[in-house]
Amino acid sequence: MSAARPRVTLAELVLLAVLAVVFGFLYWALVQAWGALQLAMGPFGDLAQHVLIGGWMVAAPLAVYIVRKPGAGVAVELVAAFVEVAFLGSPVGPMLLVVGLVQGVGAEAAFALTRYRRYGWGVFALSGVLAGLASTALGVVRFGWLTQDWFAWRLGLQVVSGLVLCGLLARVVGDALARTGVLDNTPLGRARRGRTAPSGGVTRDDATASTDGLAPRTGDGGVAPTDASGRDDTHVAEGGSGVTAGRTAAAGDPSGAR
Amino acid sequence: MSPPALGRALPHDSVLHRRNPTVKLAVSSVVSLVLLVPVDPWTPGLLLLLALPAATVAGRLGARTVLRAVALFAPFALSVLAVNAVTCPGQVVWRGVGLEVTTTGLSVGGALALRALLVGVLSVAFTLTTDAGRLMTSLHQHARLGPRATFAVLAGYRVLEQLPERWETVRRAQAVREPGRRPGAPLPRDAGALARAAFAVLVVSLRQGERLAVALEQRGLGAGPRTVARPVPLDRRDAALAGVVLGVVGLVVVASWWTGVLQTWADVG
Repeated sequence: MSAARPRVTLAELVLLAVLAVVFGFLYWALVQAWGALQLAMGPFGDLAQHVLIGGWMVAAPLAVYIVRKPGAGVAVELVAAFVEVAFLGSPVGPMLLVVGLVQGVGAEAAFALTRYRRYGWGVFALSGVLAGLASTALGVVRFGWLTQDWFAWRLGLQVVSGLVLCGLLARVVGDALARTGVLDNTPLGRARRGRTAPSGGVTRDDATASTDGLAPRTGDGGVAPTDASGRDDTHVAEGGSGVTAGRTAAAGDPSGAR
Repeated sequence: MSPPALGRALPHDSVLHRRNPTVKLAVSSVVSLVLLVPVDPWTPGLLLLLALPAATVAGRLGARTVLRAVALFAPFALSVLAVNAVTCPGQVVWRGVGLEVTTTGLSVGGALALRALLVGVLSVAFTLTTDAGRLMTSLHQHARLGPRATFAVLAGYRVLEQLPERWETVRRAQAVREPGRRPGAPLPRDAGALARAAFAVLVVSLRQGERLAVALEQRGLGAGPRTVARPVPLDRRDAALAGVVLGVVGLVVVASWWTGVLQTWADVG
C-alpha cells in the first residue's frame, strides 16, 4: 500500500487507518441512505449518487490536510474502500478498491500540484472538483454514461458535489478536528501551533508552518524570547517526537466537540 | 436495518471458511472485473443462478441469509435498471410522463442490475466466511502487505469493531442533553444531530487511534520483520477453489458468446 513509505510514521499510518475506518463506516451508512433516496427518486434514482458522491471522497483531502505527505489521500481512500469491501460487505464489491484509488488520486492531485505546501480554500476546492471529474471518468468506463442521455447533468452534479461535500467540507472538518486538540501531534496540529501560538508558548516558524499557504504569518514575533540569547534550546520541545505540551487554548475536552 | 457483520465470520465451519482469505478476495476481484465486460442480462443472470446455491451450500450460509442479502441490494439494482431503461437510446417500447423506455435500455439495465446482485452475493459470501484477523495475516503472508500497513489496518479494525457501540453511546449521550426532551422519545434523526454524532465519533476514534499507535510503538511493532503467531495455510485446495470458480465463470462467458447472446458496450453503444 502506498502509505508504507519509510517517511510515514507508524502513528501516522494508524491515524490514516482510523480515519479510513471511521469514514468507511460512515460511507457504509451513506450507502444505506443512498438506497432510500434512490427508491424515493424513482426513475431518476440513479442521479442520487451524483448528489452524494462528494461525501464518499471527503476522507482523501482531509487525510492530506492532516498528514501532509504524498500518498496519504490515496492510502486513506484505498483502506476505506477495503474496509467496506472486506469487513462490511459493500454491494459494489471489490471494484470499490478501484473506485477508491481513482477518487483518491483525483482528490490528491490538487495537493500534489502545490507539492503539499499550500492548504488554502482554493486548493481544497480544486481537490474536490478534480475528485468529481476523476469519479465521472470512472463512471463512463463502468456504466457507459456517455451513451446515455443525462451525461451533462451527471458531470455537473458530480463536480458541484465534489466541490462542496469533498473539497470544502474536508477543510471545515479538518479545522474543527484541530480545534478539539485531537490532532495536536500531527503535522496539521504543529502547523496550526506554529501560526497561532499561545502567549508565552514556544513558537518556531518551522518548515511546516512557513510553507503553509493558508494565511499571512502572524506569529513572526513569537521567536523573540529565544532570539535575545541567541540560543534556541527551547525549540527542542517543539521539534521533538510526541510532544503534547502545546495544546492550544481552544483545545478543551472532546465533549466540546459534541 | 440489521447490524453489519463488521468482519466477523459466521461462527461455524464450512468449505469457504477454511479457504485462504487472500485467494477468496483475489477470486472475487477477478470475477467482478470479468463481469464489467458483458452487458446482456443472460450472462450475469446465469452466473447469479449458479452463485446463489453455490454460496449457500459452500459457506453453509442458509438460504434465508442469502435471500436477505439479495433483498438488501435490491434497491440499488432496481434503480440501475430504472435509469438505464429510460436513458438509453434504442427502440421505444413504452412512452409516458416525458420518459421513453427502450429495449436496449431494458437489456443493459437488466444486465447491470443482475451484475450488482451477483457482486453483492459474492461480497456477502466473502464477509460472512472470512475472519478479519485471519484476512490481514494472510494478506501479510501471501500478498506481501508490509508489517506496518498490516498493523495499522488491524488497529483500525479494533476501532471499527467498537464503532456501532460507540455510535449508539454518543447518540444517546447527545440526546439526553437535549433541552425539552421527553424521556423515552426516539433518538433525533435530523441531519444536524447525525452530523454532530459523526463528528464526536470521529474525535473519540482518533484519540483511541493515537493510544493504539503509542501501544504498538512501545511493543516495537512496525520496527522490523516479525514472525506470525497463527500462520494461515495456503495449499492445493485453495488453488482448486480458484480453478473451479474462474473455470465456471469462463465457461459461462464462452457459452454466452457461442450462443450469440453475449453483448458488450461495443455492441450496444
